[in-house]
Amino acid sequence: MNAVSRWLNHPWLTVRVQIALGAIFVAAAIPKIVDPPAFAHMIHNYRILPEWSINAAALWMPWVELLAGLALVLGIARRAAASVAGLLLLAFIGAISLNLARENPVQCGCFDVHAAEKSRGERLDEMRWVVARDAALLLLVGQLFAADRGRAKAPEEIL
Amino acid sequence: MRRRRTVASAALIFAAAAACAAIANALACPERRLDWVRSAPGRSPATGLPAAPPRVPAALPAEGPAARTAAQFLPHPDKAWLPISPVEAHALFLGGGLFLDARRSAEYRAGHIAGARSIPVWEADLDARLLELANQARDPSAPIVAYCSGGDCEDSHMLAERLWGIGLNNVLVYAAGFPDWQRRGWPVRAGIAP
Repeated sequence: MNAVSRWLNHPWLTVRVQIALGAIFVAAAIPKIVDPPAFAHMIHNYRILPEWSINAAALWMPWVELLAGLALVLGIARRAAASVAGLLLLAFIGAISLNLARENPVQCGCFDVHAAEKSRGERLDEMRWVVARDAALLLLVGQLFAADRGRAKAPEEIL
Repeated sequence: MRRRRTVASAALIFAAAAACAAIANALACPERRLDWVRSAPGRSPATGLPAAPPRVPAALPAEGPAARTAAQFLPHPDKAWLPISPVEAHALFLGGGLFLDARRSAEYRAGHIAGARSIPVWEADLDARLLELANQARDPSAPIVAYCSGGDCEDSHMLAERLWGIGLNNVLVYAAGFPDWQRRGWPVRAGIAP
């Protein structure tokens, strides 16, 4: 194992990545939990889910984000929480990329579920930035998996 | 073994999230609550039955401003809504037309077209509000103006489809919405009262 990979898999880094990723998910979940109708409106704007399923997604998804985030911050069921976070990030990247391809300017609804006055161009630029940001977060999930593989069956893992 | 444990823990996160969502939604105020399954536009909210057949237009009022606006905006049973300009919306306002505000309750309270009723399309009590409107003894062919926040806001169009679903076949969408109305200095009001 070379010095770079040793450093990348170092517990000091892994703990900080885990807490940072968890905190981001918790911060993203709270506004959606506080105002589910506003988040349902955001999901509707993406034009991906069938109409009947939008409300259920708006109610359920933020709690998945919150619980996965809390599990990461607290170090509980880390591998499962990282898997859930990774799945959510893949879904977000897919949803935004699809709308970028359609040139349908949507507001991300990631950390703020209230509509902001923005031009079409500004929204499309923001969507590109969000895809890049989520891809970077996916790299953090990758770091957690890589470090976890390195210390498989570590005694501090709770579940 | 390790993979199975990970999958079980992930399933637990998903299940716990569903339980938390159900509890939080049950405890939320109507303004922040959602029905788990969103009823499709064009279906009656009360019964879930397909859209009511278009009703035959009632006789037009004989005279007065209401007669002029009703004569100008005839029912359109084959279309859920028709667009109207700000000037036409204002004419309907002067003629005593019914205005419906499709925005969130909080936005309505902050300011709305004077006399408009609040029917927020994204809140859980939408069906109850639609039912109340449908049960009121009013001419189903009388013009109704639906509006929201202008720009790319589609809430007024969604509301129009719901209204069409309960047999109200003369809904007009004022797409420029409340920001335009306010900019023109036409009458507005704040608070929960129309």
